[in-house]
Amino acid sequence: MRFMLIIKADTNTEAGVLPSKELVAAMDEFNEKMVKAGVLLAAEGLHPSSKGARITFHGGGKRTVTDGPFTEAKELIAGFWLIQVKSKEEAIEWASRCPDVLGPGETAQIEIRQVFEMSDFPAELQEAAGNEPAMRAQLEQGWPKAPRA
Amino acid sequence: MRFMMLMIPKGYEKAEAGAMPSAEMVAKMTKYNQALTKAGVLIALDGLHPASNGARVSFSGGKPRVTDGPFTEAKELLGGYWMIQVKSKQEAVEWASRCPAQDGDVIEVRQVQEMSDFPPEVQKAAGATRLGGEIP
Repeated sequence: MRFMLIIKADTNTEAGVLPSKELVAAMDEFNEKMVKAGVLLAAEGLHPSSKGARITFHGGGKRTVTDGPFTEAKELIAGFWLIQVKSKEEAIEWASRCPDVLGPGETAQIEIRQVFEMSDFPAELQEAAGNEPAMRAQLEQGWPKAPRA
Repeated sequence: MRFMMLMIPKGYEKAEAGAMPSAEMVAKMTKYNQALTKAGVLIALDGLHPASNGARVSFSGGKPRVTDGPFTEAKELLGGYWMIQVKSKQEAVEWASRCPAQDGDVIEVRQVQEMSDFPPEVQKAAGATRLGGEIP
């Protein structure tokens, strides 16, 4: 089963405060443990929402684009890991072992969400997805290394 | 530049375990995904199960506390994402705008950090385990 461990943002990540060397080293150690255990598929950090945008879809093909920042920092995402484990409990265990992800003593939250696999869908949805499995296989090869622009 | 297009479906925070999209919706999304693939911009995509079978781990004073989903206080929740490689934020916004999303859905476009965005001492501290980032 794949799970996404989502790091929730706070005012520091939203302000673009860079992590300390110590924190980066601690996170690196944590990442290395997950690599050695063979569970880590991907890990990414996101720039603050001030560099982003939101597209809201209204009826009848109408869309509105709003530039960041977005105010509710607690609802925003600062980064994530994608892991492959045997159960939700194992995903929770990994998340619980994470060092203080937003800095020493900072309150932080990691949300654990199961990722859909094609086999989770009923047959008619798999059919509607057409040649999706082929595309997925191609993409999953691509995950670990981003192509360069 | 890499961007995440974060899909925040309307009302997904209230979705029950086992909630599924319609076949029609899946077919439309597949077409959109194929357009992203053909344009050579798509790196990865995934959908997430409703939060009712998720969990949250909160850290305060170094102690993890686990809360099982659903998260009733949440105003919005991630339903899935695309990671794309494009030349500008503008291009990312254009792709997001082309998505066959439903009324009330929101796509948040966020730039992904590359190793080269960090100062040299942070890059050095990070070693080589960052999987997605550009490793100099």
